[in-house]
Amino acid sequence: MSRSESGREWVIRFLDDLCAAETASAEVLGAWIAVCTLDGLRGGLRVIAEREATHAELLAERLREMGSTPGAALAEPVRAAALERFGSAQLSDEQKLGLLLARYPEDASAARPITDVLASLDHDLETREILRLVAEGEAATVAWLRAYHAGLARPGASRA
Amino acid sequence: MLRPRSGAERTRVIGLLDAFQAAERAGVEAVGRWIVTCDDPRLRGGLRVIRARDRRHAALAEARLRSLGGVPLAEPGRELAALCGVVADPGVSDRSKLALLLGRLPAREGTALDELAREAEGDAETHALLETITDDERASVRWLRHMHEALEREGT
Repeated sequence: MSRSESGREWVIRFLDDLCAAETASAEVLGAWIAVCTLDGLRGGLRVIAEREATHAELLAERLREMGSTPGAALAEPVRAAALERFGSAQLSDEQKLGLLLARYPEDASAARPITDVLASLDHDLETREILRLVAEGEAATVAWLRAYHAGLARPGASRA
Repeated sequence: MLRPRSGAERTRVIGLLDAFQAAERAGVEAVGRWIVTCDDPRLRGGLRVIRARDRRHAALAEARLRSLGGVPLAEPGRELAALCGVVADPGVSDRSKLALLLGRLPAREGTALDELAREAEGDAETHALLETITDDERASVRWLRHMHEALEREGT
């Protein structure tokens, strides 16, 4: 395998895995929206779910342009557990926010797996810029959810 | 679902969402035509993300206005239509398109949408929807500025 071939295959695998993660994320957020009791949170989740679906769509499109087909999928037990947890009406929205944010100590944490590879993509500038904006979207998602969560915790807060 | 408190407020929120979805749709079409003729892979990559997001924003705004009892009727204004015409024009350079777009934006990113979100404060779901969309728009504007600076440096 030549160096360029191995580089291309690595990019394809990265895009495929990310596409699978974004697809699953959009699905889990959809399950949360269906049981979300807070109007404001539901509004934000709608945009965030669409953002994740948009990322998945763009990554799948890019994979096809590179001659590949999206084939990766999140491990079924992981997907099922996330759907059950975030689609549960028994767990409060605040608890779900806490669970999600615990995974990302900083807003940039969610974007780091993507930003870490940008410098390795100078041979594929179109993919690099797609990923740059996808990474910004991930950081914006965590920042918005963190701000909303903080608003819930504030005494006298009246976030609908 | 919390709805805007009064009929008049609901009508106002529907109007805001309608104008927004019309503007986003016009932008999607224009950027789509720009992408087709854009030779710079960096620019093409980012524009593809912006177009895909704006398409979803338009759909979200339309879904929300329909859930409030409205029907999308708005058309982009003449000024926006003219801007979209330039953005879609293959005879105009990428650098000029970026300069034109950025020149129309206020110095502070997201100001117009922030204003829209503030105006919808009586409707928590619409307010959060617009607030979160503003985050995407801010990212788009930051990236467009970054690309404009890069093209200026390169003199392309």
